[in-house]
Amino acid sequence: MASIARKNLFEDIPRCLVAQAGIMFAVSLITIQKGILDGFTHSTVRLIEQSTADLWVAHKSMEYLELTSSLSVEQLLKVRGGNGRPGVKGVEYAEALSIHGTRWRAPNGQIENVRIFGFNPDGQLFGHWNMTQGQISSLKTPYTLITDKANISNLGLKQIGETGEISSLPATLVGLSRNTQSMASSPYVYASLESTNAYLFGGLSAKVNCKVVAGDLQCLNEFEADSKTPSKLFDPKPPRRLNLSDPITYILVKAAPGQDIQELRKNLEAALPDTRAYTTQEMVDRTRTYWYERTGVGFILGLGAIVGFVVGIVVVSQILYSSVSDHLKEFGTLKAMGASDWVIYRVITEQALWMAVLGYLPSIILCIGLGAWTVATRGIIILITPATAFGVFGLTVVMCVGSALFAIQKVTHIDPAIVFKA
Amino acid sequence: MAASKTKFVNTVQKPVQDVPSPIASERFVSKAIVAHGVEMVFRSASELYPVLYGIDLEIQQGDIQLLMGPSGSGKTTLLSILAGILTPTAGHVWLLGQEITSMSRDRLSQFRLDNIGFIFQGFNLFPALTAAENVEVALKVKGFKRADARQKALELLDQVKLSDKANQLPRDLSGGQKQRVAIARALAGDPQLIMADEPTASLDSYNGHAVTELLRQLAKESNRTVLIVTHDPRLIDVADRVAYLEDGVLRS
Repeated sequence: MASIARKNLFEDIPRCLVAQAGIMFAVSLITIQKGILDGFTHSTVRLIEQSTADLWVAHKSMEYLELTSSLSVEQLLKVRGGNGRPGVKGVEYAEALSIHGTRWRAPNGQIENVRIFGFNPDGQLFGHWNMTQGQISSLKTPYTLITDKANISNLGLKQIGETGEISSLPATLVGLSRNTQSMASSPYVYASLESTNAYLFGGLSAKVNCKVVAGDLQCLNEFEADSKTPSKLFDPKPPRRLNLSDPITYILVKAAPGQDIQELRKNLEAALPDTRAYTTQEMVDRTRTYWYERTGVGFILGLGAIVGFVVGIVVVSQILYSSVSDHLKEFGTLKAMGASDWVIYRVITEQALWMAVLGYLPSIILCIGLGAWTVATRGIIILITPATAFGVFGLTVVMCVGSALFAIQKVTHIDPAIVFKA
Repeated sequence: MAASKTKFVNTVQKPVQDVPSPIASERFVSKAIVAHGVEMVFRSASELYPVLYGIDLEIQQGDIQLLMGPSGSGKTTLLSILAGILTPTAGHVWLLGQEITSMSRDRLSQFRLDNIGFIFQGFNLFPALTAAENVEVALKVKGFKRADARQKALELLDQVKLSDKANQLPRDLSGGQKQRVAIARALAGDPQLIMADEPTASLDSYNGHAVTELLRQLAKESNRTVLIVTHDPRLIDVADRVAYLEDGVLRS
């Protein structure tokens, strides 16, 4: 019976091509919407996933990677220990990660909001990226930065070695990374903790005013306009070392070998009031959930996928229905001969499966090609994972076979006496 | 008034009356086709349309029976009932000794599959399938395996002198050739009964004669019973019996 399904499908090539185009449109729409959603969320969490930290210590108000209150260097030192003070039990080592929004001025004067990530270039927990040009260790040079290759034109740069400006301080591009940009954010730039701190307080000098109140030491950051260097851009002071009160955003923690992570989490939260410690996966989930649920992104892209599915059902239903209508007499003949309804259902279902396969294969190839092109040219990720590919195939089959129900319903009601019509 | 008019969607069922006596039943069992007291009434939204009135008909095994009559006389409706496609409003039909009017839908389908071949005025061939594939489809429906179906399909096409057209699509065949493919398909599974609806109506004189001769061979060489609904007087020459239907009443 296979030949009826296949040959009915190919009997009218133009109609078959229209049907396949409709299915391809639907499949592509579903795949791209899902791919963009996955690519979007993947891009927002990949810095977390690329980190080798076991725990991320954040302020308790943290919503997602980029939205949180600050911690301090003092808290980092408390975790690490040193100078005769013990660190938190179970910590192998800990590093600071500083994230701030700031403004970039390109060499041509163009300005752009950027998000600057400060970290230790010699550290082990953050910054293990694929570099397309330059070295991460170059960030040890003051006022240097690395950015993702996809950002270079957005920042008004052409090549490494060019210098822009952040907070009236120079910022020289010393390297280009790959797969380190979130699609949801301003361009990311990466610098040392010291440079980042200098950019954060650019034009200002900070000092800490501490006093003892009722036996407790209470400290207050004070910022003052820096009047010493009218032209910091051409003759900047080297960034100073971080002091205890300088803000950082996260403390990345590597657990000691054999250390129970849950126990370490409790130790950290006990040692650092108003903080929470998250595993890498929890950070990923929290960030992903934020984008899915707190923004309209998941809804909008999901809606697009649903529209694709509905369009697919309409197209396939119409084609199958008209194909069955065209062959009503032949199907009626089979019924008159005594063929069971299931024989005919099988023909129609197989026709739907052929449509699904023939619509799906070119679509998925098209989407993979489109994804490669967008990531190469625009830095936009259309992430088509094997799970997405299989899932969309399953959905395509459901869409086509589901559409066949309309045609099956028509065949079910064929009066076999139709065969005697001339 | 034909059964194929779609506005008549429902038949009117009424209690079966005038059930034949056991003696009569035994007599019916020995015939290939027997209709006893068959009546048919179609119903539209608000009206009843009686089509057949008290049809009694007996056809011997191996006979070619023509059913003739003017358009609208109820020929095709009677054929549909005798083929087990329509259920009569009243009366009984025996085919090959089995009463089909009391069979369930599934059992009736199986009976048709096992015992009846159909030939239609419009051929009803799948246009996308070759001549051999059209015959193969019928064979597969009747339970033949793929390889056996192919072989048997070629044999049947050879039987209707069309083996050289086995791989042609219906659009590349003449009307007579299409009807011969349809006859080959009707022979799939070697049915004892052939029901033909205007088999020569769409054919010219030459092809009409060829198909007529083929139907005669089918009946006489294999002892099949062939019931033909027709307007075509050329078929009278090959018929064993002719029945005339007029205004839903059978006249000999």
